[in-house]
Amino acid sequence: MKYAYFPGCSIHASAKEYEMAAQAVNKQLDIEFVEIPDWNCCGSIDAVHAYNPLLSVTLAARNLALAEAMSLDIVTLCSACFFTLSRANNVLREDAAMKAKVDKALAEAGLKYSGGVKVRHYLDILTNDVGLDKIRQQVKAPLKGLKVAPYYGCLIVRPTGIQKFDDAEHPMSMDRIVGTLGAEAVYYQDKTRCCGASLVITDEDVMLEMAKSPLLTAKKAQADCLVTPCPMCHFNLDAKQKDIESRFKIDIGLPVLYITQLMGLAFGLSPKELGLHRNIVSPSKIVEKAKASSQVPTKVS
Amino acid sequence: MNKHPSNQAVCQTDPSFIEEIRKIPGGDKILDCIQCGVCAGSCHARFAMDYSPMQILKMAHLGLKQEVLSSSTIWICASCYTCASRCPRSLNIPAIMSGFKHMAMKNNVKAPIELKPKFHKAFTEIVGKYGRMHEPALQLKLTKKTSPRQLLHNASLGVRMLRKGKLNLKPSKLASTTRFSRVVEKTLKEET
Amino acid sequence: MKKPKIGVYNCHCGGNISDTVEVAKVKKDISKCPGVEVCETYEYMCSKPGQDMIERDIKERKLNGVVVASCSPRMHLDTFRGAGKRAGLNPYLLDMANIREQCSWVHDNKQLATNKATDLIRGLTERVQHLEPLEARNMPVNKDVAVIGGGIAGILASIELADKGYKVYLVERDPSIGGHMAQLSKTFPTLDCSACILTPKMVYVSQHPNIEIIDMAEPVAVSGSPGNYEVDLRIRPRYVDKEKCTACGECAKVCPVKKVNNHEEGLTQEKCIHLPFKQAVPAAYVIDKEHCLWFDKGVCRVCEKFCKGKAVAFDQKEEKRQLKVGAIITCTGYQQLDAELSKELLNGWNALSQYGFGLHPDVVTNLQFERLMLQGMHKPSNGKPPKKVAFVLCVGSRMDHGIQYCCKIGCMNAIKQSLLLLKAFPEAEPWVFYTDIRAHGKGYEEFYSKARDHNVKFIRGRVAEVVPDGDHLIVRAEDTILGRHIEETFDLVVLSPALLPNTGTSELSKMLRVDLGEDGFFLERHHKLRPVDSKMEGVYLAGCALGPKDIRETTIETMATASKVATFLGRGEVSVSPEKAYITPEKCNGCGVCFTHCPAKAIESTSKGVVINSISCTGCGVCVPKCPAEAIDLTQSSDAQLLAQVKGTIEGPGESPRILAFLEKTTAYGSADLAGQTRVPYSSNVRIISVPSTGRVGSKHVLQAFASGADGVILIEGDDSQFREDGIRDHVNSIKKELGKFGIESLRVISTTTTLPQYDKVVNLFQTFDERITKMGRVAPEKRHKIAQTLAGGK
Repeated sequence: MKYAYFPGCSIHASAKEYEMAAQAVNKQLDIEFVEIPDWNCCGSIDAVHAYNPLLSVTLAARNLALAEAMSLDIVTLCSACFFTLSRANNVLREDAAMKAKVDKALAEAGLKYSGGVKVRHYLDILTNDVGLDKIRQQVKAPLKGLKVAPYYGCLIVRPTGIQKFDDAEHPMSMDRIVGTLGAEAVYYQDKTRCCGASLVITDEDVMLEMAKSPLLTAKKAQADCLVTPCPMCHFNLDAKQKDIESRFKIDIGLPVLYITQLMGLAFGLSPKELGLHRNIVSPSKIVEKAKASSQVPTKVS
Repeated sequence: MNKHPSNQAVCQTDPSFIEEIRKIPGGDKILDCIQCGVCAGSCHARFAMDYSPMQILKMAHLGLKQEVLSSSTIWICASCYTCASRCPRSLNIPAIMSGFKHMAMKNNVKAPIELKPKFHKAFTEIVGKYGRMHEPALQLKLTKKTSPRQLLHNASLGVRMLRKGKLNLKPSKLASTTRFSRVVEKTLKEET
Repeated sequence: MKKPKIGVYNCHCGGNISDTVEVAKVKKDISKCPGVEVCETYEYMCSKPGQDMIERDIKERKLNGVVVASCSPRMHLDTFRGAGKRAGLNPYLLDMANIREQCSWVHDNKQLATNKATDLIRGLTERVQHLEPLEARNMPVNKDVAVIGGGIAGILASIELADKGYKVYLVERDPSIGGHMAQLSKTFPTLDCSACILTPKMVYVSQHPNIEIIDMAEPVAVSGSPGNYEVDLRIRPRYVDKEKCTACGECAKVCPVKKVNNHEEGLTQEKCIHLPFKQAVPAAYVIDKEHCLWFDKGVCRVCEKFCKGKAVAFDQKEEKRQLKVGAIITCTGYQQLDAELSKELLNGWNALSQYGFGLHPDVVTNLQFERLMLQGMHKPSNGKPPKKVAFVLCVGSRMDHGIQYCCKIGCMNAIKQSLLLLKAFPEAEPWVFYTDIRAHGKGYEEFYSKARDHNVKFIRGRVAEVVPDGDHLIVRAEDTILGRHIEETFDLVVLSPALLPNTGTSELSKMLRVDLGEDGFFLERHHKLRPVDSKMEGVYLAGCALGPKDIRETTIETMATASKVATFLGRGEVSVSPEKAYITPEKCNGCGVCFTHCPAKAIESTSKGVVINSISCTGCGVCVPKCPAEAIDLTQSSDAQLLAQVKGTIEGPGESPRILAFLEKTTAYGSADLAGQTRVPYSSNVRIISVPSTGRVGSKHVLQAFASGADGVILIEGDDSQFREDGIRDHVNSIKKELGKFGIESLRVISTTTTLPQYDKVVNLFQTFDERITKMGRVAPEKRHKIAQTLAGGK
């Protein structure tokens, strides 16, 4: 399974570990990422769009054109990129006037996009292209006894006009993957509650209040960690967790792992290659549990 | 006299506001809103807004352009799409909020927190220049609009991130910068 | 031919026509047309003075044909024909020009609308001059009636007709009659006990000598004609002999299999062999085949061993039965929205999951609440009484991208359930979360006031989400009146799911050859004046089959349908339309080409030659252009009449391109009328002619259209027509081939099918075709001339 891989800006900076773990997991699952050469920032949801809507679509369209030249569909690890690229794809299909302007701009770089690329999120690939059985087969260190709170966030399940691979109100795709890894996906209220996104820069107080909810309800449901498929959410829940604790004078201490990191642990891969040393809230307890589990002889069925 | 917004009679309406909104992609449905309130009930950031999303749409119906564009609501919307996914009239509320932000910036309407419009401008400029986001450059551009306390706070987070290798001091640039710049330039010329 | 003396009557329709069409100018132009004896205009032609005017002119001026230019013939053709008849004019000599739904309501430009109105009227005056007087024939009818659906609607309809002396077959799919009303506790606003008012009717039905209940049955095919229908039923086996079963219940005691109890809306379980519910009629047990161990694994049959009456009958087989009836009433009711239906109808969106349905046992539907009420109100999770209860309205309803309509009974149900809850537990706290409180019926507003007096809390705001939180449920909404967020914890949440047409509605509508509306429910013939008629004569509709409603409205509709059926069958005979195809024997050479094309299989070869069965013939006219010897013609849509109308409609002066649209007279024409009723505009270049079916239109008519000045021709057939896709395609291709001989491009003819509610599609076609024709430009005069010459010379 080969895809045009769109990393997005976070991957090269704050979310490197997401990609490290993805590359490691991909090897086990026969997934091939071919990074889009010279990709540019997707536009990041509303960051560019509110200032210059045409530029926002053009930026996304350049990536679509580059992928089309590779004759591959796009896969991205980031929910925000997934949404932004998909939105542009839809707009180009429905708004002929805008497409004409974008075409002209792309032509300046000798690029052309005729609408042939599908944009997909990694979680969709895991669910529909790889399948749970194949994932289960790679599990060498089942994470028995580990309680995981799958945190989906927003843009991987909404809007429903863009995403169709999971239920928007009660998604279960990541819960099922957690299940195949041997862990228990706990029910908690806020699996699709917004983490605050870019408000972390423009209105930190609001973002801290928003990100507090999933952390608290996951903790109340006795989760050992959260798992997420989005670098933005990861930052707000992991890197900012200390700020949430000090602002509201509460104790959380929940490690936040990327879905690829959790999968990698269950596959028996080393924490180093999964970038777990880069997570801000220490995931050491989770790593220990995985290690202990891999030493338990697996049952012969 | 008690000038609380909730006891002001509706006035200073701008009948052309609705037409302007219709030009926003997704804005053509603005009058379909039946004011049911599911967007307001769903909004994860509602607690921080002066007007709920539903109220903003109602104000738009009545042509209260100044009030809509100077609200805190439009700047707090995080585009989480919870409202849009539940709206019985399938209104793309985040797109409309984005359109209001754009209108506010174009009309030079002062935002309650000036950092917010500055963020959109700064982000766009950096991505337009490098092709990819560069956090330090963004922080630098936003320094003027950030409080000293917040700056210190950001700096300490920056140091923590740097230590973990999660922050690049040098920007990640494109190989084909020239051609990319041409694309950006052409787009800026065509700006709607 | 007789000297034509045509009277033309142009209605203003109170401004609906005259505000756009300049009626004075039309009168002036039409008065000049040859054959027109008089042309009048009036405010409301259908009113008494209007009709009197027509009658007076017929008598005094000895008119032999009348054109009423006003609304759609689907509205008032019978009204005006009645006026004509009273004055001694054969009804078939009166026709109508549709200058409202298909002109003034869809065009803004006064000049263009006036020109088009004049053209349409001229076409009709030409047509009317060729009309012949016709007489309807009377045929005996079968006076029995089939009622499909044994809920309250079907039960009351059966009683009404049976009491009038009609034999009624009450066909019910489930093992018992009663429907959803049998599940309710009390009804609003009187708080009558539902079972108390329903069960006596159920018993009365079972004992009535004129009613036969056929349970476990559903129709699989319907054939025949109005007054003489054949309904083929498939009757599923109950595996219990109704005659022998005493409902003692010994079998259920020993049955080892438990299954979901449907009557209790899944809240409890019942045995595989079970009585549908305590007051079931017929009062006999039934075995659920899917869960039975005997059918699944070949073991058990314990119930049979313990049945003292030897009523268990595992050897029962599915049966077929045919009912011969004169009329059919459809009372198939509704079903509630569930997850599967929601995903199907709302683009993959599960409207129930947002409210925690299926995630927590204490989120229930309003029907489940009724059952809880009757079981002794309690929380399904722990059996304890609920204190704080949230009623969430409009679940899946009023969604413009799927289920657009209001469920109509949600508000009143929630108010009723709040009051019942308070009666059972005076300390309870009912909260009703609404978007609008719809308390429209008799006594409803007073009932709503009563609820407010009892301190039922009403929060105006569509609920955003219901989140299970341990034992409780958190409800989040905005109080839109206060402008504040509400987050409250409840013990029980009651949802008001959207109401949908019952399963099998679509299939049944095809069997009955009736339409469904945009909402998926059965469509009435006319919204105001024929609310219980379907488009098929002899087939009537009542109750929730037509759309969600309360019990009172259902009752009223059943009274109406029973009355209609009695009128239809009462005389013992039904009149057969004289609009049929007929063969001129001298011209017929017996080639038999017409046999294969007749969709109704009404043509046969007899010892007397080729004959058309005038009862089976539906008057579609598909055979007419197919006859190589031109030996077939159609009354009321003869070649002469159609050619005259084509010429008259197209020949008028003016520079704009002309498009002639032949629309099949019931569904396609009705769809264009709907576009008019909805005021959806389209180009005035399009002129519509009604035809029995587009198969009636032959190459010669299309050629005549182009010869007379048309630049494009549209053919639209009803989707439910017996003239089908392959037939239509071949037919249109043969027409295009003929046109090709004269250099008329094939792009100048377009054909499609439509359903009645798809007026958007029809208007879209008009517009895009108009753009195409405008771009292609007008047909060259030389080509027209050549066609005209050929038509005059050769034919």
